[in-house]
Amino acid sequence: MKINGFLHNDFSIKNNLKLRRIKLSICSVLLIFSFTIIGYKTFSLASITKANKNQISSKKKQQSLFSKLNRGNIYGRNGELLATTIDVNSLNINPQEILNKNETIKKLNKIFPELKEESLWRKLNTKKRHVNLLREISPKQHVLLLEEGIEGIKIEAKDKRIYPNNNLVSHILGGTDIDGKGIAGIEKSFNEKLLNGEDITISIHNGIQYITEKIMSEQIKKFDAEGGAGIVMNAKNGEIYAITSLPDYNANNYNNINNQNLFNKATKGIYELGSTLKLITAAVAFESDHVKENDVFDVSTPLKVSSRTIRDFHPLNYRLNIPEVIVHSSNIGSAKIAKKFGTSTQLKYLKSLGLMDKLDLEIPELGKPQVLKDGKLLTTMTISYGHGIAITPLHLASATATIVNDGVKIKPTLLISNSKLSNNRIFSSETSKKMKSIMRLVVSSKHGTAKKAQATGYLVGGKTGTAEKVNQTGGYSKKQNIVAFTAAYPMNDPQFVITIMIDNPKGQKFSFGYRTAGWVAAPVIKRLVTRISPILNIKPETKVSSDFTKDLNNYKIRGKKKGANL
Amino acid sequence: MIRYPSFIIFFLIVFVAISLYQVKHLITQKELELSVINKNIIRTESDLNILKAELSYLKRPKRIENLAKNQLKLREISAIDIWDLQHLVDVTKSITESNVK
Repeated sequence: MKINGFLHNDFSIKNNLKLRRIKLSICSVLLIFSFTIIGYKTFSLASITKANKNQISSKKKQQSLFSKLNRGNIYGRNGELLATTIDVNSLNINPQEILNKNETIKKLNKIFPELKEESLWRKLNTKKRHVNLLREISPKQHVLLLEEGIEGIKIEAKDKRIYPNNNLVSHILGGTDIDGKGIAGIEKSFNEKLLNGEDITISIHNGIQYITEKIMSEQIKKFDAEGGAGIVMNAKNGEIYAITSLPDYNANNYNNINNQNLFNKATKGIYELGSTLKLITAAVAFESDHVKENDVFDVSTPLKVSSRTIRDFHPLNYRLNIPEVIVHSSNIGSAKIAKKFGTSTQLKYLKSLGLMDKLDLEIPELGKPQVLKDGKLLTTMTISYGHGIAITPLHLASATATIVNDGVKIKPTLLISNSKLSNNRIFSSETSKKMKSIMRLVVSSKHGTAKKAQATGYLVGGKTGTAEKVNQTGGYSKKQNIVAFTAAYPMNDPQFVITIMIDNPKGQKFSFGYRTAGWVAAPVIKRLVTRISPILNIKPETKVSSDFTKDLNNYKIRGKKKGANL
Repeated sequence: MIRYPSFIIFFLIVFVAISLYQVKHLITQKELELSVINKNIIRTESDLNILKAELSYLKRPKRIENLAKNQLKLREISAIDIWDLQHLVDVTKSITESNVK
């Protein structure tokens, strides 16, 4: 009827029909076009194409699709698992659903003897609807529980971060809180990646780490020391193979450990590392225009500067050349060398070696060095032999690596892929070559302070350091020492740097009461080198008269009684 | 003239509606399947992690060292135990020569 009414309008029927046809055709085309687009889009969204296939399979996409992803694992350099997340079941109960409480207590006590009857009775007689009985139960206990068929029991699965190697490398791995968020170490630094399910591989070698920890622990026990730190680092790319801080802790109990054990002595603790700093003094001297290679320094009388008198542990009555200053570890000689090149040169090199700033390592527990910068001559002199400068053992390892790596700066790293070789040259090749010889002489010369570091077959070189410990009330303690040794080997082409520090060793009968680095730290290097070299594929030197060893004869190192002047 | 396109449009709407329903149903089903697969993946990953952790625990250096010392009666290697191949050839040669003499 409506159509008829419409047709009886004033418009002519013919024109009207034509117009309608056009309108309908336009509408039809538009509708067909729209539905075709909608249809195409629907199917294209539903189907998997090459373009979206990769996107769907990516871990990130998975995370957005699904609420739960296991926290990534942490692996050692050889693929050893260091940290992983597993599901553990917790035992909960709803006391309101229990019909026979006595029977339930008996059944629970049979499976979980650690749950005491009294405590169970108390827990089951509350008005609560959810009571936690045990935070973790074993799969075997879970099965027994199901077999018993106890009413009101609720098993809840939750994530647990575990560290299968317990104490091994615990300071570096760090830990997570109860929500699974990284709160220390690698766990904290790489929290985002690990949360996204990504695995992290660090440069630590399980075997080397274990050997380092074991030898260090034994020596700490032998000398009744408070603790220590040890680092084994690749001298060419800065990859850390082992890093230990003792006393350590079981990483599985991170949240129940006291702060003292959690403290990382290798990367966060700053110490005056004594004469080990003389290596830097000697290297700077070789670089400086103010010191000549053949310069000699009179060390026969104590050196009085301002209010302080600088003395040597083993006084010598003649003038020493630079290598002798290092081999005999003369404080007076070192102070006189530093006086020659001056404060600004010293600070410039300390800065360029990174000894005035925090290290850029992949964990948050890093210590900032403390360097006295009062511009006084006395400070420059004391810094030259390691007093008035407090650094972490890892700073010392980094500086040692730079000296032996042809003078090119080495940045320590805990990652394998991150070891980019730097071009930042601090010392010349010539200086590096001389320093390698001098470091070797400290160990190989019969007058050296580190004869006990001599490992048969290996060209070990290094420098000892014994410093009085800083009192908490200020000043130095005469009774407490920090001993350190920084070494590299094989010295003809150093592959590895080993730096160790032992905190407050006590003199022993077998050491004739000595508690110096030569007695305490040097033997650790010897044992470490002997143990780790076969693992690191470093072969012992079979040719006794190698070019490097021959060159050492060019250095004139005199003993205590050879008091002839140069 | 009016009916023909109307029918097409009607059938098209019905077709698209059914298709959409089917696609939606299919996707819901697939999502459920995916969710189950994902749960299985997570469970398997967790199981794998347990196995890896157990293996790592068994392979811990302290245990291996104890086994090597106590069960295999091995001792720590020293520098004199490591021989260069050429060195070994030279020594063997000298021993053979001395025997011939």
